[in-house]
Amino acid sequence: MAFLSKEVYKEFEDVVGEENICDDPAIMPAYYKTEFAAVILPGNTAEVQALVKLCNKHKLKFRPICTGWSGMFPKGIILFDLRRMNHIIEINEKNMYAVVEPYVISSELQAELMKRGLNFCIKGAGTNCSAMLRGHGHMDQTTSGDDRNHLAIEWVTPEGDIVRSGALGSSDDWFCGDGPGPSLRAILTSAVPPGVTPGVFTKASVKLYHWPGPARFPVVGHSPKYVLSEIPANMMARYYSFPSVEKMWQAELKLGEAEVCYELMGFNAAMVAANITTCNEEDEAMFNRLNKEVQGPGFFVIIAGNSAEDFAWKKKVLQKIVADADGKSLKTVENPEIEGILMCQCTRISASIRETFRPGGAFNSIPIMGQRDLTIKWAIGAGEAKKPLIKKGYIVDDGGAFFGWGVEQGHLGKTEIFCKFDPRNEEAKKAVEKWQQEQTRRAFTERYFASTMGPQNEIGPALSNYHIWWSKLVKALDPNGVSPEGGSLV
Amino acid sequence: MSLEQYAGDMAMCCRCSACKFIPMQKVKGAEFSYACPSISRYNFHAYSGGGRVNIGSEMLKSGMKYTDKLLHVVYNCQMCGACDTSCKYAMDMEVLEPINEFRIRCVEDGKTNPALVKVIASLRKKGTMLTDATGKRGAWAEGLGLKDATKEKVDVLYHVGCLTSYDKNMQKLARATAKILQKAGINFGIAGDAETCCGGRAYQMGYKDDFLAQAKKNMAMVKKAGAKTVVTGCADGYQAFKVLYDKFNLKGNLEVLHISEYIERLIKAGKLKLKKKVDLSVTYHDPCRLGRLGEPWIHWSGKKIPGDRFVFDPPKPYRRGAKGVYEPPRDVLKSIPGIKFTEMTRIKEYSWCCGAGGGVSESNPGFAKWTAQKRIDEAVSTGAEAIVTACPWCEKTFNEAIKESGSAMKVYDIVELVEKAI
Repeated sequence: MAFLSKEVYKEFEDVVGEENICDDPAIMPAYYKTEFAAVILPGNTAEVQALVKLCNKHKLKFRPICTGWSGMFPKGIILFDLRRMNHIIEINEKNMYAVVEPYVISSELQAELMKRGLNFCIKGAGTNCSAMLRGHGHMDQTTSGDDRNHLAIEWVTPEGDIVRSGALGSSDDWFCGDGPGPSLRAILTSAVPPGVTPGVFTKASVKLYHWPGPARFPVVGHSPKYVLSEIPANMMARYYSFPSVEKMWQAELKLGEAEVCYELMGFNAAMVAANITTCNEEDEAMFNRLNKEVQGPGFFVIIAGNSAEDFAWKKKVLQKIVADADGKSLKTVENPEIEGILMCQCTRISASIRETFRPGGAFNSIPIMGQRDLTIKWAIGAGEAKKPLIKKGYIVDDGGAFFGWGVEQGHLGKTEIFCKFDPRNEEAKKAVEKWQQEQTRRAFTERYFASTMGPQNEIGPALSNYHIWWSKLVKALDPNGVSPEGGSLV
Repeated sequence: MSLEQYAGDMAMCCRCSACKFIPMQKVKGAEFSYACPSISRYNFHAYSGGGRVNIGSEMLKSGMKYTDKLLHVVYNCQMCGACDTSCKYAMDMEVLEPINEFRIRCVEDGKTNPALVKVIASLRKKGTMLTDATGKRGAWAEGLGLKDATKEKVDVLYHVGCLTSYDKNMQKLARATAKILQKAGINFGIAGDAETCCGGRAYQMGYKDDFLAQAKKNMAMVKKAGAKTVVTGCADGYQAFKVLYDKFNLKGNLEVLHISEYIERLIKAGKLKLKKKVDLSVTYHDPCRLGRLGEPWIHWSGKKIPGDRFVFDPPKPYRRGAKGVYEPPRDVLKSIPGIKFTEMTRIKEYSWCCGAGGGVSESNPGFAKWTAQKRIDEAVSTGAEAIVTACPWCEKTFNEAIKESGSAMKVYDIVELVEKAI
């Protein structure tokens, strides 16, 4: 059925041109399993603004997307596919920021930055996702994560106003997210429900960091088995396992405080296996091998020196801290071929799909940013709770593992736990959803943390009724209720 | 095979969009990061590899819901396989195979493209994909004294291909190839007027039965000639003989070589010496069907092991594009005195398509030229004077784009440069 009348469709078409709007139901399954009123491809901020205003005029709901993955899409909603907004607007080396449109993927921006001795925070979702995406990633020890990295932002509000935050609000500069000009940091969040900012982010400035590595990794060979022809002389990658979670955490904390790691990523053995293998069968065999090789939980580290002396010092500190915690280097990763490709993939964040979707086809996760020691303790229980699902064959066997890493050389960090499963197996799907609900609730009731993925009416009151405030805010921003799902940066 | 057999693969797509880009490790900047011409040109997700398999997956469940837009999506794809390679960097799933099966289903359901219907009519009537083909197929060889493989025993059968045989601008490639083989003293022959289309392009267009008919005719002819080796000058022909005939158990023990592979072999064996200097800076374009789609077929049958992982018994080996013909043409170019060789950004298994494949050069010439121009722009960015390819379809499409854009870039087939050097 057509959701839009011919006249309304024509109004939208007049904004973007005939080629950039479609309401043919045949193409909709390409996006998601819902009936969209139309898919529209705006090419710039002015077009986004005009489209949003039309949505308000006709009381039509919309949602923007970038490269895809997932989202909530009620029937009859208009989808703004931001694919045509794919330009790097500026790379400001002096003030260390880059301004991008939504469909610039992280891989493109990072490649441009590395040529200039710079890097930025690529989120764990992968380098194939929008460079504007907010969240955490493998390089958080160096680049931090979340709203630390968003500077000035251009935002089309749900009513169709253009808001320019931070320095952009008072000048043409993008160097700061908080001023001179309106900060709006608490509103422009986007990531976690119900705090998903409505409207459309059309440009964002992201913070840049020093990159001590090569202008380009010397990747040779053929897909899917790329290798480095040589490991950069000032870089080293290792995986360390520890006799206990406590020892691992002790080492992680000390390494953070010493500020020697370019990257500290708390991969479990299953994630290392997924990263370095080219197919599921190989992955399974490698996981079984690594499981025997590790002595317990562990993490992956990249050291990058700014000079030969700096590199030598960082290595020495790393080895001392790891030894003090009885850590053991995984021999498999010391193999230069594996070390090299892990180093490249974990800097370019190019194997997330191998870790998440390849084994079963789908995954579900509980991600949490918080006090690492607490979230680790919770994750041990959540991992144990996965084991019956593994035994029943509902989810991929990863040993009940979780993963995570410290952010900003400190005590805060990201902890996450996956369940990978076959999406066509309804029983598995339900079992994973149940596990997710139970473990999220347990985190709250046992006072580990309050995940906003949990029931709002229980969690909200414990967090100053933030959910009520947020709802009021959204109502004020979006009086016509046209931007119900937000998700503007994803 | 059928679309239904790929239901599991299609359900694996997570819409990560990797299929739209070259493999992430190989992205070198904001330019030349896109892999798929179709999504790059038309932008709606439906035009990407992921979009196509998601549509296929849904229509398997709810029935084929044909619309004009759907058919526009279906036929505006060069079937170049870039999506397949990029996806398979990380995933274990087939992408191009179900896309091809979807086309076959469209043709079976009578949902065809008018331009492609004419092409197939030509194939059925004249044995060539060229609707405007006139004259005799073997006319290009007049006066060259080549052996007729249908009458004389030869070691090597040179399968010339439709475009090179009939297109007056491309016949130079056939003559250059013949000259090279003669110079190397090879006992080779051609089928001349008896040669017929390889059928590869018909398969790409969804006309499976017509492809099979051509494959059977060709293999019967090869058998009659007694040749143990077929050399093709066209990447489509190479893929058809080497990969597709094998896929349908028609190839037997026939050795199939692309002319670039054969020339490399002759140089290594000392039978061909490239002595004359060719002062030219060049870059090389990997034809899709010589590169990633030239990877040998893998015969496999098995079942998914019940349970959590997408694994099979016996283990399923995936064709991921790594085993195409990549080094021989480069080695040949590098062995020509005077040639200065530079690589483009998108090469080998993640090469950008020339635009001609899948019937697009016939059904939507504007899109074919648009795609070719993107490649010319990339070639220009290397500073090379010329782009060298190893397929007449690529050369033709590049020249058409250049004619329209006024670019100074020159286009050569690899045999033209080898001919200059011998």
